[in-house]
Amino acid sequence: MDSEYKGVSPNRVQLIISAKSSGLRGFVSKLAGLPREETQQRFTQALDSAAAEVFEMMVGTPLGPSDEATLPRVADYTAMIGLAGDLCGVLSFRCSHESAARIACRMLGTDENTSAECIRDALGEICNMVAGSFKAQVSDVAAQCMLSVPTVVSGKDYQLYPLVDGLRIQVSKTFEGALIWMTLDLHSS
Amino acid sequence: MNALSVLIVDDSSVMRKIVDRSLRQAGLELKEVFEASNGVEALARMQQNRVDLILSDINMPTMDGLELVRQLQAVENAKGVPIVMITTEAGEAHVVQALSNGARGYIRKPFSPDQIKERIIPLLQG
Repeated sequence: MDSEYKGVSPNRVQLIISAKSSGLRGFVSKLAGLPREETQQRFTQALDSAAAEVFEMMVGTPLGPSDEATLPRVADYTAMIGLAGDLCGVLSFRCSHESAARIACRMLGTDENTSAECIRDALGEICNMVAGSFKAQVSDVAAQCMLSVPTVVSGKDYQLYPLVDGLRIQVSKTFEGALIWMTLDLHSS
Repeated sequence: MNALSVLIVDDSSVMRKIVDRSLRQAGLELKEVFEASNGVEALARMQQNRVDLILSDINMPTMDGLELVRQLQAVENAKGVPIVMITTEAGEAHVVQALSNGARGYIRKPFSPDQIKERIIPLLQG
Protein backbone atom coordinates (compact mmCIF):
# COMPACT_ATOMS: atom_id res chain seq x y z
CA MET A 1 0.00 0.00 0.00
CA ASP A 2 1.37 3.41 -0.91
CA SER A 3 0.17 6.57 0.75
CA GLU A 4 0.93 9.81 -1.03
CA TYR A 5 0.83 12.93 1.10
CA LYS A 6 0.04 16.22 -0.64
CA GLY A 7 0.06 19.37 1.42
CA VAL A 8 -2.71 21.72 0.34
CA SER A 9 -1.95 24.15 3.09
CA PRO A 10 0.51 23.95 5.96
CA ASN A 11 -2.22 22.47 8.17
CA ARG A 12 -4.12 20.35 5.68
CA VAL A 13 -3.28 16.87 4.51
CA GLN A 14 -4.77 14.71 1.79
CA LEU A 15 -4.05 11.01 1.76
CA ILE A 16 -4.38 9.34 -1.59
CA ILE A 17 -4.61 5.64 -0.96
CA SER A 18 -3.13 3.45 -3.63
CA ALA A 19 -3.50 -0.20 -2.73
CA LYS A 20 -2.54 -1.98 -5.89
CA SER A 21 -0.84 -5.26 -5.14
CA SER A 22 2.83 -4.61 -4.49
CA GLY A 23 5.31 -7.42 -4.24
CA LEU A 24 2.68 -9.93 -5.32
CA ARG A 25 2.77 -9.34 -9.04
CA GLY A 26 1.88 -12.94 -9.81
CA PHE A 27 -1.56 -12.51 -8.28
CA VAL A 28 -4.58 -11.34 -10.25
CA SER A 29 -7.54 -10.13 -8.20
CA LYS A 30 -10.44 -12.59 -8.13
CA LEU A 31 -12.79 -9.63 -7.87
CA ALA A 32 -12.67 -9.13 -11.63
CA GLY A 33 -14.53 -12.38 -12.29
CA LEU A 34 -17.42 -11.77 -9.86
CA PRO A 35 -20.84 -10.24 -10.65
CA ARG A 36 -20.70 -6.70 -9.25
CA GLU A 37 -24.12 -6.43 -7.59
CA GLU A 38 -23.98 -9.85 -5.97
CA THR A 39 -20.45 -9.17 -4.80
CA GLN A 40 -21.45 -5.80 -3.36
CA GLN A 41 -24.31 -7.39 -1.41
CA ARG A 42 -22.30 -10.37 -0.23
CA PHE A 43 -19.27 -8.33 0.79
CA THR A 44 -21.48 -5.79 2.60
CA GLN A 45 -23.05 -8.59 4.63
CA ALA A 46 -19.64 -10.10 5.34
CA LEU A 47 -18.20 -6.75 6.48
CA ASP A 48 -21.25 -6.09 8.66
CA SER A 49 -20.99 -9.54 10.19
CA ALA A 50 -17.21 -9.24 10.70
CA ALA A 51 -17.63 -5.93 12.55
CA ALA A 52 -20.43 -7.38 14.69
CA GLU A 53 -18.29 -10.39 15.64
CA VAL A 54 -15.25 -8.29 16.56
CA PHE A 55 -17.17 -5.79 18.68
CA GLU A 56 -19.16 -8.45 20.48
CA MET A 57 -16.17 -10.67 21.29
CA MET A 58 -13.29 -8.24 21.76
CA VAL A 59 -14.94 -4.98 22.80
CA GLY A 60 -17.83 -6.55 24.69
CA THR A 61 -20.37 -4.14 23.22
CA PRO A 62 -22.72 -5.16 20.41
CA LEU A 63 -22.97 -2.69 17.54
CA GLY A 64 -26.30 -1.02 16.87
CA PRO A 65 -27.97 -0.25 13.55
CA SER A 66 -27.50 3.04 11.77
CA ASP A 67 -29.58 4.97 9.28
CA GLU A 68 -26.63 7.07 8.25
CA ALA A 69 -25.28 5.68 5.02
CA THR A 70 -23.01 8.57 4.17
CA LEU A 71 -19.42 8.71 5.24
CA PRO A 72 -18.17 11.49 7.46
CA ARG A 73 -16.14 14.09 5.61
CA VAL A 74 -13.54 13.78 8.34
CA ALA A 75 -13.46 11.45 11.33
CA ASP A 76 -11.10 12.01 14.23
CA TYR A 77 -9.55 8.59 13.74
CA THR A 78 -9.11 6.45 10.64
CA ALA A 79 -7.50 3.01 10.94
CA MET A 80 -6.52 1.38 7.64
CA ILE A 81 -5.27 -2.01 6.62
CA GLY A 82 -4.16 -3.08 3.15
CA LEU A 83 -5.25 -6.26 1.39
CA ALA A 84 -3.14 -7.81 -1.35
CA GLY A 85 -3.40 -10.98 -3.40
CA ASP A 86 -6.81 -12.43 -4.29
CA LEU A 87 -8.42 -9.22 -3.07
CA CYS A 88 -6.51 -5.94 -3.42
CA GLY A 89 -7.57 -2.83 -1.58
CA VAL A 90 -7.90 -1.04 1.73
CA LEU A 91 -10.24 -1.55 4.65
CA SER A 92 -10.72 1.55 6.77
CA PHE A 93 -12.44 2.04 10.10
CA ARG A 94 -13.45 5.56 11.14
CA CYS A 95 -14.83 7.03 14.33
CA SER A 96 -14.84 10.05 16.58
CA HIS A 97 -12.26 10.61 19.30
CA GLU A 98 -14.88 9.85 21.97
CA SER A 99 -15.79 6.53 20.37
CA ALA A 100 -12.12 5.63 19.89
CA ALA A 101 -11.39 6.27 23.56
CA ARG A 102 -14.41 4.22 24.63
CA ILE A 103 -13.46 1.33 22.34
CA ALA A 104 -9.94 1.29 23.82
CA CYS A 105 -11.34 1.37 27.38
CA ARG A 106 -13.73 -1.51 26.69
CA MET A 107 -10.98 -3.59 25.11
CA LEU A 108 -8.66 -2.98 28.06
CA GLY A 109 -11.43 -3.55 30.58
CA THR A 110 -10.93 -0.21 32.28
CA ASP A 111 -12.87 2.99 32.84
CA GLU A 112 -9.72 5.04 33.22
CA ASN A 113 -8.52 7.43 30.55
CA THR A 114 -6.35 5.63 28.03
CA SER A 115 -3.32 7.09 26.33
CA ALA A 116 -3.35 8.21 22.70
CA GLU A 117 -0.94 5.35 21.95
CA CYS A 118 -3.38 2.80 23.43
CA ILE A 119 -6.24 4.29 21.44
CA ARG A 120 -4.28 4.01 18.17
CA ASP A 121 -3.20 0.49 19.06
CA ALA A 122 -6.78 -0.55 19.85
CA LEU A 123 -8.19 0.88 16.62
CA GLY A 124 -5.44 -0.76 14.58
CA GLU A 125 -6.33 -4.11 16.14
CA ILE A 126 -10.05 -3.57 15.52
CA CYS A 127 -9.31 -2.89 11.86
CA ASN A 128 -6.97 -5.89 11.69
CA MET A 129 -9.55 -8.23 13.23
CA VAL A 130 -12.42 -6.93 11.09
CA ALA A 131 -10.26 -7.51 8.00
CA GLY A 132 -9.31 -11.01 9.18
CA SER A 133 -12.89 -11.92 9.99
CA PHE A 134 -14.10 -10.51 6.65
CA LYS A 135 -11.44 -12.55 4.85
CA ALA A 136 -12.56 -15.71 6.65
CA GLN A 137 -16.17 -15.12 5.60
CA VAL A 138 -15.29 -14.76 1.92
CA SER A 139 -12.52 -17.34 1.99
CA ASP A 140 -13.65 -18.85 -1.32
CA VAL A 141 -12.44 -15.68 -3.06
CA ALA A 142 -9.84 -14.54 -0.53
CA ALA A 143 -7.83 -17.67 0.28
CA GLN A 144 -4.63 -16.07 -1.01
CA CYS A 145 -5.28 -12.63 0.45
CA MET A 146 -2.67 -11.08 2.72
CA LEU A 147 -3.10 -8.26 5.21
CA SER A 148 -0.68 -5.44 5.89
CA VAL A 149 0.04 -4.15 9.36
CA PRO A 150 -2.50 -1.45 10.28
CA THR A 151 -1.98 2.30 9.97
CA VAL A 152 -3.90 4.78 12.10
CA VAL A 153 -4.41 8.43 11.16
CA SER A 154 -5.73 10.94 13.71
CA GLY A 155 -6.63 14.58 13.43
CA LYS A 156 -9.38 16.87 12.22
CA ASP A 157 -8.13 18.24 8.96
CA TYR A 158 -7.54 15.51 6.43
CA GLN A 159 -9.38 13.73 3.64
CA LEU A 160 -8.98 10.25 2.21
CA TYR A 161 -9.15 9.76 -1.54
CA PRO A 162 -9.32 6.12 -2.60
CA LEU A 163 -8.70 5.25 -6.22
CA VAL A 164 -12.00 5.19 -8.08
CA ASP A 165 -11.89 2.21 -10.42
CA GLY A 166 -12.94 -0.46 -7.97
CA LEU A 167 -15.73 -1.61 -5.72
CA ARG A 168 -16.63 0.36 -2.58
CA ILE A 169 -18.39 -1.35 0.33
CA GLN A 170 -19.61 0.91 3.13
CA VAL A 171 -21.08 -0.10 6.45
CA SER A 172 -22.10 2.34 9.15
CA LYS A 173 -23.15 1.23 12.62
CA THR A 174 -23.58 2.75 16.05
CA PHE A 175 -21.28 2.08 18.98
CA GLU A 176 -22.79 3.18 22.28
CA GLY A 177 -25.03 5.56 20.36
CA ALA A 178 -22.30 7.16 18.21
CA LEU A 179 -21.76 6.50 14.53
CA ILE A 180 -18.78 4.48 13.33
CA TRP A 181 -17.97 3.64 9.72
CA MET A 182 -16.19 0.86 7.87
CA THR A 183 -15.25 1.13 4.22
CA LEU A 184 -13.69 -1.48 1.98
CA ASP A 185 -12.23 -0.17 -1.28
CA LEU A 186 -11.32 -2.99 -3.63
CA HIS A 187 -9.61 -2.88 -6.98
CA SER A 188 -10.91 -4.87 -9.87
CA SER A 189 -7.43 -5.77 -11.12
CA MET B 1 -3.26 -27.17 37.56
CA ASN B 2 -0.26 -25.23 38.90
CA ALA B 3 0.14 -21.51 38.33
CA LEU B 4 1.63 -20.90 34.90
CA SER B 5 4.37 -18.78 33.41
CA VAL B 6 3.44 -17.60 29.93
CA LEU B 7 4.99 -15.60 27.13
CA ILE B 8 2.57 -13.45 25.09
CA VAL B 9 3.90 -12.20 21.76
CA ASP B 10 1.94 -9.56 19.85
CA ASP B 11 2.88 -6.20 18.36
CA SER B 12 -0.27 -4.72 19.91
CA SER B 13 0.03 -3.92 23.62
CA VAL B 14 -3.77 -3.83 23.82
CA MET B 15 -3.97 -7.34 22.42
CA ARG B 16 -1.32 -8.60 24.86
CA LYS B 17 -3.47 -7.29 27.72
CA ILE B 18 -6.60 -8.90 26.24
CA VAL B 19 -4.83 -12.26 25.93
CA ASP B 20 -3.59 -11.98 29.53
CA ARG B 21 -7.11 -11.17 30.75
CA SER B 22 -8.68 -13.94 28.66
CA LEU B 23 -6.30 -16.53 30.13
CA ARG B 24 -7.35 -15.49 33.63
CA GLN B 25 -11.04 -15.46 32.63
CA ALA B 26 -10.55 -18.97 31.27
CA GLY B 27 -9.66 -20.02 34.82
CA LEU B 28 -5.89 -20.25 34.45
CA GLU B 29 -3.76 -19.00 37.31
CA LEU B 30 -0.81 -17.01 36.02
CA LYS B 31 2.42 -16.85 38.01
CA GLU B 32 4.47 -14.81 35.55
CA VAL B 33 3.54 -13.13 32.29
CA PHE B 34 6.35 -12.18 29.92
CA GLU B 35 5.54 -9.99 26.93
CA ALA B 36 7.23 -9.40 23.59
CA SER B 37 6.17 -7.25 20.64
CA ASN B 38 7.84 -9.31 17.91
CA GLY B 39 9.73 -12.53 17.28
CA VAL B 40 13.16 -11.11 18.04
CA GLU B 41 12.07 -9.87 21.46
CA ALA B 42 10.35 -13.20 22.13
CA LEU B 43 13.53 -15.16 21.36
CA ALA B 44 15.44 -12.90 23.76
CA ARG B 45 12.85 -13.50 26.50
CA MET B 46 13.09 -17.25 25.95
CA GLN B 47 16.89 -17.22 26.24
CA GLN B 48 16.48 -15.84 29.77
CA ASN B 49 13.28 -17.44 31.04
CA ARG B 50 11.39 -20.70 31.25
CA VAL B 51 7.65 -20.69 30.58
CA ASP B 52 4.84 -23.22 30.43
CA LEU B 53 3.06 -21.76 27.40
CA ILE B 54 3.81 -19.44 24.49
CA LEU B 55 1.02 -17.54 22.71
CA SER B 56 2.02 -15.68 19.57
CA ASP B 57 0.51 -13.53 16.87
CA ILE B 58 1.65 -14.25 13.30
CA ASN B 59 1.59 -10.88 11.54
CA MET B 60 4.25 -8.80 13.33
CA PRO B 61 7.05 -6.49 12.20
CA THR B 62 10.77 -7.38 12.54
CA MET B 63 10.15 -11.13 12.88
CA ASP B 64 6.75 -12.72 12.33
CA GLY B 65 5.21 -15.53 14.36
CA LEU B 66 5.90 -18.24 11.79
CA GLU B 67 9.64 -17.52 11.84
CA LEU B 68 9.56 -17.23 15.64
CA VAL B 69 8.07 -20.73 15.97
CA ARG B 70 10.72 -22.11 13.62
CA GLN B 71 13.57 -20.50 15.54
CA LEU B 72 12.16 -21.50 18.94
CA GLN B 73 12.81 -25.14 18.04
CA ALA B 74 16.51 -24.44 18.64
CA VAL B 75 16.02 -22.65 21.97
CA GLU B 76 16.69 -24.90 24.95
CA ASN B 77 14.15 -23.17 27.22
CA ALA B 78 11.41 -23.63 24.61
CA LYS B 79 11.81 -27.39 24.21
CA GLY B 80 8.51 -29.11 24.96
CA VAL B 81 6.71 -25.81 25.59
CA PRO B 82 3.37 -25.68 23.72
CA ILE B 83 3.14 -22.79 21.26
CA VAL B 84 -0.28 -21.54 20.23
CA MET B 85 -0.78 -18.99 17.47
CA ILE B 86 -3.42 -16.30 18.12
CA THR B 87 -3.98 -14.55 14.84
CA THR B 88 -6.29 -12.99 12.30
CA GLU B 89 -4.31 -14.92 9.67
CA ALA B 90 -6.15 -18.21 10.23
CA GLY B 91 -6.18 -19.27 6.59
CA GLU B 92 -5.19 -22.84 5.79
CA ALA B 93 -1.74 -21.94 4.47
CA HIS B 94 -0.77 -20.04 7.63
CA VAL B 95 -2.14 -22.74 9.92
CA VAL B 96 -0.34 -25.53 8.05
CA GLN B 97 2.92 -23.59 8.09
CA ALA B 98 2.60 -22.72 11.79
CA LEU B 99 1.91 -26.35 12.72
CA SER B 100 4.71 -27.66 10.52
CA ASN B 101 7.11 -25.14 12.11
CA GLY B 102 6.27 -26.49 15.56
CA ALA B 103 3.12 -24.76 16.82
CA ARG B 104 0.67 -26.99 18.68
CA GLY B 105 -2.51 -25.07 17.92
CA TYR B 106 -4.06 -21.81 16.79
CA ILE B 107 -6.85 -19.50 17.86
CA ARG B 108 -8.44 -17.07 15.44
CA LYS B 109 -8.95 -13.44 16.45
CA PRO B 110 -11.52 -12.40 17.55
CA PHE B 111 -11.78 -15.00 20.29
CA SER B 112 -13.65 -15.60 23.53
CA PRO B 113 -12.22 -16.83 26.85
CA ASP B 114 -14.13 -20.08 26.24
CA GLN B 115 -12.21 -20.64 23.01
CA ILE B 116 -8.95 -20.02 24.87
CA LYS B 117 -9.98 -22.59 27.45
CA GLU B 118 -10.98 -25.18 24.86
CA ARG B 119 -7.75 -24.89 22.91
CA ILE B 120 -5.19 -24.36 25.63
CA ILE B 121 -6.14 -26.48 28.62
CA PRO B 122 -5.86 -29.80 26.71
CA LEU B 123 -2.36 -28.80 25.59
CA LEU B 124 -1.31 -28.07 29.15
CA GLN B 125 -2.79 -31.30 30.43
CA GLY B 126 -1.42 -33.45 27.63
